[in-house]
Amino acid sequence: MPRIYVHPLPVRIWHWINALAVLALIVTGIQIRYVGLIDLMSFRTSVVLHNWVGFVLIGNFFVWLLFYLLSDKIRVYHPELSPTKHFRESFRQLWYYGYGIFKGEPNPHHVSAYHKFNAMQSMAYQVVMLLLVPLQFYTGVLLWDVKRFEAMIDVLGGVRVVDTAHVLIFIFFTAFIFVHPYLASLGHTRTAHYKAMITGYEEVEEEPPGGGAGSDKAGSER
Amino acid sequence: MATCSTGRASAGTTFCADLIAIGRLALLAMVMLAATSPAAGAADNTLSALDEQCLGCHSVEGMKMKLANGETLSLHVDGAAFAKSVHNLIGCAVCHRDVTLENHPPLKKKIASLRENSLALAKICSTCHAAIFKQYEGSIHAVLQRAGSPGAPICTDCHAPHAVMSKSAYDAASGAPCSGCHDPVFKAYAGSVHGEAALGCANCHRAHDVNPATTGEQLKNACLGCHEGTLSSHKAWLPNAERHFDAVSCPACHSPTAKRKVDLRLYDAVAKERVVEKAGVPQFESRARSADAKGLGLDALALQSLLLEFNREGAPKQTTLRGRLEVTTGAEAHQLAPKAKAIQDCATCHRRGADPFQSVTVSIVGADGRPVRYDAQQGVLNSMISVDSVGGFYAIGGTRIEVLDMLFVLALLIGIAVPVGHLTLTWLFRRTAKRIGGREDS
Repeated sequence: MPRIYVHPLPVRIWHWINALAVLALIVTGIQIRYVGLIDLMSFRTSVVLHNWVGFVLIGNFFVWLLFYLLSDKIRVYHPELSPTKHFRESFRQLWYYGYGIFKGEPNPHHVSAYHKFNAMQSMAYQVVMLLLVPLQFYTGVLLWDVKRFEAMIDVLGGVRVVDTAHVLIFIFFTAFIFVHPYLASLGHTRTAHYKAMITGYEEVEEEPPGGGAGSDKAGSER
Repeated sequence: MATCSTGRASAGTTFCADLIAIGRLALLAMVMLAATSPAAGAADNTLSALDEQCLGCHSVEGMKMKLANGETLSLHVDGAAFAKSVHNLIGCAVCHRDVTLENHPPLKKKIASLRENSLALAKICSTCHAAIFKQYEGSIHAVLQRAGSPGAPICTDCHAPHAVMSKSAYDAASGAPCSGCHDPVFKAYAGSVHGEAALGCANCHRAHDVNPATTGEQLKNACLGCHEGTLSSHKAWLPNAERHFDAVSCPACHSPTAKRKVDLRLYDAVAKERVVEKAGVPQFESRARSADAKGLGLDALALQSLLLEFNREGAPKQTTLRGRLEVTTGAEAHQLAPKAKAIQDCATCHRRGADPFQSVTVSIVGADGRPVRYDAQQGVLNSMISVDSVGGFYAIGGTRIEVLDMLFVLALLIGIAVPVGHLTLTWLFRRTAKRIGGREDS
């Protein structure tokens, strides 16, 4: 099976640090919010850990950001400018996950180095990485030192408003942390995408006659 | 009509006549000498000749005067105590300057009441103690006095004018004079770490510019004034220490047995200070009652409508709410324990159903400087509406919003249901499904 290099080393490092940190933040976040229901560690320990891991995650975000800003790989995040095409491809992908996969149909998306996200991923990761994650960092930093950022917090409506935004995004990521690994298991094998995120190489299924949507051989194994 | 009598004299009128004669002679000499040697005898705790002459009459125990309202004014002066007092420096005539040959003994002088007499004397005090009197005039004691409160202390209620010692009005053992009005507070204080160290009330509350304890920053600054390095020592273990200093009163943790509550304070976001009730046109209580139609305390909607009322004038959202965690009573605020016993367990507050959040009030600063409070229901801190109305107060865990908890559970269910449901369908359609993991399975 041909292999293409889709996950450069900085992206893989960023991804796995991100994965561990997000898990740690969710666990400590749940402990912070639900003292009495969960007793993994003390409230204070969970707050201190949450703060430290939060800053690690912020630093890690800039690894991701700088890598993509300074390399041509940023093309993987280029949005599809045609809404019609974007929604048609998104629907095809949704149809595949919700129906086609059970009928044995092939995945409509074909991975390449500059086109590694399917239409749904492309939209989801842009929202996650450029909106939700920065917003979570922003609210998290404000809550880390409420007094220092008091003026900004007041402009936003108060500490409860900021906390509510932080918790809503936390709730989204809690669902995400279950769904994301499952979707990653829907490669040609259950572990194919996991292995790819470790080695950098994605095995691609044989090109069906006529090629597939978004096929791009530019990144084939070098 | 004022009368003059002593406990010993059986024929008061005759005795008074004698006093009048002696008094006039003494007064003549006193006034003459006062101009030349006002402080005679002061340095060695001896009395001047003039003062001795005054005491010729006023040292008689039981000497008193009936006032217009029927009260009795003691005219007795303890000569020995006066000799030791700082007022010995100035002698009788400086304060009692209205006493003249013509009117003393003041059979003709009408004094309405003890209170009126004290008020008149306070004006005399202010002539020498202008700076201190100015401090007093800004105090809650003076505000209450001007409002006509008969119990509001004025100079002579705390300071015995004929036995006044330098900075000695306070008695650490009895708490006098403060305990005269604030006895329950003093009793609570006496057993506290500060009470056992024999600190005086004025160490924290100041002697003359006493402000209401729960308005302003005076008391917090008093704590931090003595306990230097407190913020940095708290920062060493307490996340968001400065926020805690703003939103939690010191006794809320350092009076560990106290019952705690949340006070949601109306705050002017433009002026950046607590909202003060307009003098003469109090609105807070009537508006709160109007919003709280059932009289059960303000619920989340009622609280929001109260805020809307206050925001009808001025900039949008000018009036907000800022919460503060404090102890329920003044007595509890004084039961400060040694540092080792202070609450350090975050879970005391940061958990669902924590005691401090079971009691909630909404407050405004009254026209007299004291807070005016109205009860709110506990639910105002956990309602989704609180994001709008109580934006300025949030304690993680303790005041978390219930709707968000439901959303969290829903997210968990979705997060689990999607993979489990999809896996199930994959198994059900295993004959036709794409052979995910087929190679591994084989």
